[in-house]
Amino acid sequence: MLPEAVLTELLEHQLLPPAQAERIRQDEATRPFSLHRELRLLLYLGIVLLSGGLGVLIYQHINEIGHGVVVAAITLLMLGCFGYAARHRPPFTWAEAPRAGFLPDYALLLGCLLFITLETYLQVQYSFFGTRYGLVTLLPAGLFLGLAYWFDHRGVLAMGITALASWVGVTIQPLSAFATNNFWHSRLSTAAIGLGLGLMAAGIASERLGRKAHFAFTYLSLGSNLLLLAATATLLDFTPGPDSLPPALLVLLILGVCAALIWHARRTHSYLFLLMGVGYAYTAVTYVVVRFLVATADYGHDGGVFMLLFLYVPLSAVGVILFFVNIKKILGLR
Amino acid sequence: MNLYAYNPTWPRHEAIQAQARRWHKRGLLTPEQLGAIEAAFPLEFYRPHLFLRIGLFLFTTLGALFAAGFAGVLAQFHFLGTLLPVLLVGGVTLELVIAGKHLYHSGADNALLYLELLGLVVLIFDLTFAHLNEYGYADHLDPTPGTLRLALALLLTLAVLVLATLRYADRLVAAAAYLCALLLFANGVLMLPLGTLLLPFALSAASAGAHAWATRQLARPERLPYHRCLRVLRALTLGTAYLAVNYLVVREGNAELLSSGNWTGPAPQIPRAPLFYGLTAGIPVFYLVQGLRRPDRTWLWLGLLTAAFSVYTLRYYRSVLPPETAAVLAGVLLAGGAAWATRYLRHSRHGLTSTPDDAEDPQLNLESLIVAETAHAAPAPAETFQFGGGSSGGGGATGEY
Repeated sequence: MLPEAVLTELLEHQLLPPAQAERIRQDEATRPFSLHRELRLLLYLGIVLLSGGLGVLIYQHINEIGHGVVVAAITLLMLGCFGYAARHRPPFTWAEAPRAGFLPDYALLLGCLLFITLETYLQVQYSFFGTRYGLVTLLPAGLFLGLAYWFDHRGVLAMGITALASWVGVTIQPLSAFATNNFWHSRLSTAAIGLGLGLMAAGIASERLGRKAHFAFTYLSLGSNLLLLAATATLLDFTPGPDSLPPALLVLLILGVCAALIWHARRTHSYLFLLMGVGYAYTAVTYVVVRFLVATADYGHDGGVFMLLFLYVPLSAVGVILFFVNIKKILGLR
Repeated sequence: MNLYAYNPTWPRHEAIQAQARRWHKRGLLTPEQLGAIEAAFPLEFYRPHLFLRIGLFLFTTLGALFAAGFAGVLAQFHFLGTLLPVLLVGGVTLELVIAGKHLYHSGADNALLYLELLGLVVLIFDLTFAHLNEYGYADHLDPTPGTLRLALALLLTLAVLVLATLRYADRLVAAAAYLCALLLFANGVLMLPLGTLLLPFALSAASAGAHAWATRQLARPERLPYHRCLRVLRALTLGTAYLAVNYLVVREGNAELLSSGNWTGPAPQIPRAPLFYGLTAGIPVFYLVQGLRRPDRTWLWLGLLTAAFSVYTLRYYRSVLPPETAAVLAGVLLAGGAAWATRYLRHSRHGLTSTPDDAEDPQLNLESLIVAETAHAAPAPAETFQFGGGSSGGGGATGEY
């Protein structure tokens, strides 16, 4: 509907004095066209291309005289980015800091990406950290988490959490995690579950204590996804390792975390967490039902199991749909 | 019976409320006025938050597919014996939930509609390609471009999709109907002598015509229920107008058509290549200029997307620079240009601004997740790790181990 048509409609229903309608008309005619989103997208694309390209370029010139220049250039660029971001940093507050513009945010992001490029290069070329691989991943994790709080930047917080996850992975299973592709094995998956619990606790704490409450979403979404993915993958693994948690415990854990997510969603009106909670819980319950059906199957007439499964899925799906449709009544939302 | 499945006051009230909320955000309406408007034009349909819609869509699809499977078990997997009753039950269910529960593009009705149409299209293609053969028309089993039989199947599909668009005003179905019409048109052109030579220009011209039509329809108030579809079509037509004359699409498509799919090696050069070079390079620039001069977000975004595809086309055939140098240069140009434009447009000039527009719908706050997804945090410490292509290795945010 064109703005003019809406104005006519509102004037007809006498919901708007004509003078105000005239002001709105004027605003519609003179309001500048915002390129905010487009510019942010281009800026982000440029930053990713630049840091990625530099990351490769540095190895192309490893045996030439020029590679010292490349290292120096990256270092300077990184320091420049951090400097620019620091100059335009809003004063520290535990609440969400007001922003003047988005350029300093992206400068900080580019600085962090260049830091990784540089650190990786120093490690591969000069073995700067020797064999202390834990330190290689812990350093960016600590730096990024600190910067995220100091600059109030959620993107850098997510990068710090990712680095923290790498650090846990490297500490639990040095090298083999990268050599064999068995990412989700026993101790590793248990560690992922532990880290996920820790991140979720951090998210809830930051919200409860009012310390960067707007970081809670990042902590909770990354932490709960890490935990639930690891637990579900272990649950569905046909050859669980000797150190894996028993399936009964995993199912209880998943259901408990899902209940916590739905409870959080109810408080904060966050439908993403609601969807995640219901989805993962449905997977876990279906797993239990299938295990139960298979265990009680009469192998003389095993067609019956399939019939039950074909009945179970549509009926349970209808149940979930009814839950979604009546969500406000069930959870007592507004 | 009314052709439009939903209550026509729903889109009207929705548009009025959305516009009023935008004005309220810009401080042009008082909260009391907004409340009065919302009371005068109430929303009496069910369309929940985006994530609930996703959940409803997924679970409806899952349930409907397994229910169809259950019907298949009962009918002992006889093809038509399963498909026909399932389609009948699905269609009736769709109509009943819209009428009874007032669902309005709520995820559940979208899922049922898509599955229903998918079943109908499968039925049409099965009837024209598999079952006609049983009655002695056995010449082609696979759809071949430029044949009457494909034209028949596409015509039936188009009829189904157009009727579904008119009744349900769904954006995806409208897009599918447009693409189907374009395929039908291409199939007709291919039946002409010199069809392959004409095809790119005919398709591009048809797309341009469709764009003009959709823009005109958008200006008509009585088309309000279809405005969502028409907006999608405006963007899609610009995309197909470009793709039809894109050098890569024309060259590969030409080889595909002439050799009927068993070409090996790179596609051969096409006649009048310089013309297609020019169009591939020129159209994105034209779109961007139009997008900034009008200003119009549809033109602008299509300009950005087509520019990206033109760069891909160039690099597909010619390696102008080594990839990493090209990435660094492009990164410097993009980031530098965007940063300059942001500062330049801080105070609005030429009717453009870089500050966020309060009258825009707020975006989902998923930015931090996207950053975690694309920006690889920790370096990989293994000695075996080789730095070849890509950037600094690593996976997504959650499966980082």
